[in-house]
Amino acid sequence: MGERTTQLEIRGLAKTFGTRNGAVPVVRDLTFDIYERDFVSIIGPSGCGKTTIFNMIAGLLEADAGVMRYRGEPVEGLRGRIGYMMQKDLLFPWRTVLQNALLGLEIRNVDRKEAREMALDYLNTFGLRSFENAYPSTLSGGQRQRVALIRTLIMDPDILLLDEPFSALDYQTRLHLEGVLVDAVETSGKTVILITHDVDEAVALSKRVVVLSGRPSKVKAVHDIEIASHSPVESRGDPHFAQYFHLLCNELDIQTH
Amino acid sequence: MSTITSRIHSATEAMPRRRGDWQIASDGLGGGIARSGLQLLAVLAFFALWELGVRFGGVSGFLFGQPSGIFTNFGRFIMDGSLFVDAGYTTLEAVVGFVFGTALGTSLGLSLWYSVGVARLVEPFVIALNSVPKIALAPLIILWFGTGYTSKIALVIAMTAIVALITAYQAARDSDKDLQRLLTSMGADKHRIFFKAVVPSSLPAVIATFRINIGFALVGAVVGEFISSQHGLGHLVFTASNLYDLNTVWVGLFSLMILGFALYHIVNFIERRVLPWKQDQSERQVAA
Repeated sequence: MGERTTQLEIRGLAKTFGTRNGAVPVVRDLTFDIYERDFVSIIGPSGCGKTTIFNMIAGLLEADAGVMRYRGEPVEGLRGRIGYMMQKDLLFPWRTVLQNALLGLEIRNVDRKEAREMALDYLNTFGLRSFENAYPSTLSGGQRQRVALIRTLIMDPDILLLDEPFSALDYQTRLHLEGVLVDAVETSGKTVILITHDVDEAVALSKRVVVLSGRPSKVKAVHDIEIASHSPVESRGDPHFAQYFHLLCNELDIQTH
Repeated sequence: MSTITSRIHSATEAMPRRRGDWQIASDGLGGGIARSGLQLLAVLAFFALWELGVRFGGVSGFLFGQPSGIFTNFGRFIMDGSLFVDAGYTTLEAVVGFVFGTALGTSLGLSLWYSVGVARLVEPFVIALNSVPKIALAPLIILWFGTGYTSKIALVIAMTAIVALITAYQAARDSDKDLQRLLTSMGADKHRIFFKAVVPSSLPAVIATFRINIGFALVGAVVGEFISSQHGLGHLVFTASNLYDLNTVWVGLFSLMILGFALYHIVNFIERRVLPWKQDQSERQVAA
């Protein structure tokens, strides 16, 4: 790997939730870096607080301790700077496909006409032009997630935060959308943080993988994934793919027998 | 009576012409026109049985009224214009009261979303107000606002506002938190979240309340008129029943029924306009 500049520094982040049964530490002393144009997957055992980490980065949840620095500047969270995508597509059911795509630009008070043209452009690229006036309830899961992806990309966020965005889709649709994502991210030069429970997806798409330990979670290991292509199908056929896959499964203590 | 028989003819004629519908229709009752024909036929049969019962079957016309008499009175009140005046008053009271009451309750209920603290503070008062049968306020309201239409409007507002408030608040509170968080992550402030997520997601519940409140509005207007009034369908029913004029009572009741029916359909129309996305959904479900 060549020169890498750090885009986001995460140092000693911690979060404890108070519950009826006392305080539950969910994240403890979380430290890692995200580089410019990085594609980092965060994997870990289920319930290890991945979504909590995600919400702290997004600025939706305040950390109890620790600092985040964005390009050197200390920040509370990346609210307004990140694109947020979840397993649930979170499309607004009362908005048409086009209106959903326009949501973020409306919040930013972008000129209506300009915004509309941008959105139509994206819909064209993503093969959804003929659905611009359809309501989300009439779309398939894959189409809905594509609209959600457009809604995220159109904001031109510095970092895309993806929380298991494809896990509710069938495998073919998922491979297709992974490809769409990787293409979009490469052409636009975006940084991606992908939270996933899917080791296979993490290896196939990422440049780096951060492995978390169980709750309270901290970083167990960070691996560079050196696979020539990150297109979802080709990378899965790469000779090194299986090696990384095993390595990460071992880290996660995944045993099938 | 001649118009009635000719209607029967057109209804029965309509059915064979639309026989195709009978085969296509999934509910086995035919398409729109055939179904309407059948419904009309049922109504006419009901009146015919009633009339025959009074004339030959020993049913008391004094206690139950008589369709021929009802229709005569109906025609007379239409001709002298008094039915329109009465219906106009009741409609005015119900609709104006409904609009103000529902708008007031809905906007208060939705805006309680802004502050959980305020919502908790006012909750016992709202519940207390809601548990008072609003009809019981009618004598008081008439003392305050007089015997004209103002008091009926006030009564209708009292009847509709609390229901609208409670429903709107619940709907706002149940509004999807994830959608709100998405907006927050995009940099939206609380007002933006309110207008872009909370209000639109509460609309189906709010409009469902319209339908309930239309009924309450008519109850409020009519009960107000019962207690003290110079005009209105409630006035018509009340004064006629004091005179044992059952046919006129029925004229008032059927007019109220028609009025309620019309208002219900207006709400339906509004719903289709305001919630096109819901329409899409239900059509899809019917198709599937």
